[in-house]
Amino acid sequence: MTAPTTPAPGSGPARAAGASAHRSKLGEYVFAALALALGVFVFVGAFGIRVPGSGTQVGPRVFPFLVGTILVVSAAMVFVGVLRGKVAELEEGEDIDDTARTDWLTLAKIVAFVVAHIALIEIVGWPLAAAVLFGGVAWTLGAKRWWIALLVGLALGLVVYVVFGGLLGLSLPGGPLLGWLDPLVAGLRG
Amino acid sequence: MDNIMNLMEGFATALQPEYLIYGFIGVLIGTAVGVLPGIGPAMTVALLLPLTYALDPTAALITFAGIYYGGMYGGSTTSILLNTPGESASIVTALEGNKMAKLGRGAAALATAAIGSFIAGTIATLGLTLLAPTIAAWAVNLAPADYVALMVIAFITVGALLGSSVWRGLTSLGIGLFLGLVGTEILSGQQRYTFGLLPLADGIDVVLVAVGLFAVGETLYVASRLRHGPVNLVPVTRGWRSWMTKDDWRRSWKPWLRGTAIGFPIGTIPAGGADVATFLSYASEKKLSRHKEQFGRGAIEGVAGPEAANNAAAAGVLVPLLTLGLPTTATAAIILSAFQSYGIQPGPQLFTNQPALVWALIASLYIGNVMLLVLNLPLVGIWVKLLQIPRPYLYAGILTFAALGAYAVNFSIVDIVILLVIGIVGYFLRRYGYPIAPLVIGLILGPMAEAQLRRALQLSQGDLTALFTRPFAAICYLALVVIIALGLWLRHRQSRVERALAAAAAADTSVEAAVNHMWEPGHRPSDVKTSEIKTVKRDDE
Repeated sequence: MTAPTTPAPGSGPARAAGASAHRSKLGEYVFAALALALGVFVFVGAFGIRVPGSGTQVGPRVFPFLVGTILVVSAAMVFVGVLRGKVAELEEGEDIDDTARTDWLTLAKIVAFVVAHIALIEIVGWPLAAAVLFGGVAWTLGAKRWWIALLVGLALGLVVYVVFGGLLGLSLPGGPLLGWLDPLVAGLRG
Repeated sequence: MDNIMNLMEGFATALQPEYLIYGFIGVLIGTAVGVLPGIGPAMTVALLLPLTYALDPTAALITFAGIYYGGMYGGSTTSILLNTPGESASIVTALEGNKMAKLGRGAAALATAAIGSFIAGTIATLGLTLLAPTIAAWAVNLAPADYVALMVIAFITVGALLGSSVWRGLTSLGIGLFLGLVGTEILSGQQRYTFGLLPLADGIDVVLVAVGLFAVGETLYVASRLRHGPVNLVPVTRGWRSWMTKDDWRRSWKPWLRGTAIGFPIGTIPAGGADVATFLSYASEKKLSRHKEQFGRGAIEGVAGPEAANNAAAAGVLVPLLTLGLPTTATAAIILSAFQSYGIQPGPQLFTNQPALVWALIASLYIGNVMLLVLNLPLVGIWVKLLQIPRPYLYAGILTFAALGAYAVNFSIVDIVILLVIGIVGYFLRRYGYPIAPLVIGLILGPMAEAQLRRALQLSQGDLTALFTRPFAAICYLALVVIIALGLWLRHRQSRVERALAAAAAADTSVEAAVNHMWEPGHRPSDVKTSEIKTVKRDDE
């Protein structure tokens, strides 16, 4: 077999651009600056911790001072590193397409579904809220038919509800629509 | 031979049907989360923490240990069979194993990984059995200053050596230490960084932080750049009985043993975890092999050795965890907090105070290894199926269970809100290359380190030099310097070897890809443009 002398067709865009090139450094600066600010906050906040006057040698302030120092120094070094062009090396993962750009819309949708889940738990009960979360996220990530995703989520929610309540004795809120499941849960609890 | 008696009693406990079932559930879940991308044992143990309040400590810890061991086995299946183009050799085994699979030798790669893991896991557990009681007996004499030294080693090595950048690792550690500070301080009862908020007075729950960072943060990161399309697996055809030929066995057994010998000691010292062991094993196999030319193209030694080293290191990590209460990986840190939630403090006293628990736990590791061999050899087909779960469903499931785990802590929706916030922070940590493990270790070990530090300084009446003058502590600080220097040097070599490997792999598709793997655009030795590189036609393949 002869090794191909030209790039194989369909080998996709070269990784040359790399994950680092098209990512702006702005975010790195902001994050390092936030960590630095946190360090300053920890350090300054340590002065606000009340020290009981019982003559102990080492009070509750010492360790916070240390932590503040670690944060300030290392975040500053990260900042300097980015200035010198040392951008983050990213860990890769099986499902990550490192040539893709960040898809902010997908992120926003997922966060929105988690928020919806939080809001719904106490109104419609955990199983239905879980179905919304599962179905919504699966749909966002490209599940082919949204209603199957929703049904899978509903099944998952009901199974977890029954198993939790019945076998582990941890009662998730069932909500107004799922009262008919209670005998089953009680039966499992035996 | 007290210990043998104790171990036998441990087996008597662990072999009771109830504990066998918990052990089996543990290794089953462990293998599943090891196989599935996006979740790992650390996050799974954290997620299950609140669910185990219903269990007795022995059952819970046997389950967690099973998850921990199982996760080590499962990972190799994924890296061998998952065919993701452009994947770099972030873990060396992935490359050799994946190449073997593509050459139609996937079955042999899976078998050598599973059998090697079993042998290494069993030998290393034996090492743990022999070593742990001795270390525990000796560690009883350690003073607070010595513990401070040990914890400093753990903090610095974990912060500096996990992940790709020393300062990012230490920043992450600092954030974890800060989160550990939040709440009511134990000795004086003072509130720190609680802003007068009642929910913060008890501190920030480990479950929320670990699940938020590992599950929610990771899911958000994957979602932001998801590889779309069907899951692409390398097919494995032959049945498992004929997996390894005589020649495969002959080439595998030495790497298994060498991998164990490398992995176990590295696991016991806080030196950057299993990654270092894996790489060292790979490098030594490459050096010793008579088939050097096969490395980078599917050498079985390159799977057998590192997989063994990986599992041996996992057992090694349990030595400092059980005898000193010192976690050196994120999963170990979360298992430590599981101990604490039952009011048990791992450390030298564990073997005298809780002998039944400890020995049942150790016995369950032997049993778990046997279960895992069966689960991963004849039954590997199940995991291949699991690997094919469509990704939208997989990540939707991870998020749903993460939300459930957070909610189950107190049955309060405030916890899910905190989870989401931590998850978003985790996303940015991941995005900007800050490793997560130092944060988790800082959060869990920080309060313990503070307690020891203050105890040490109280004993010395505030004299700081007392922290360094005890012989053991002094040795620790010297060792720290050596470990850091060695670790950084190793990491430098590792990244070079990985780049070369990835380049070799990419060379099969195009020269351009190989060059791009070898150097980042700015770092090429001279300004060679990929278009100017000529290829020599080869006829030897």
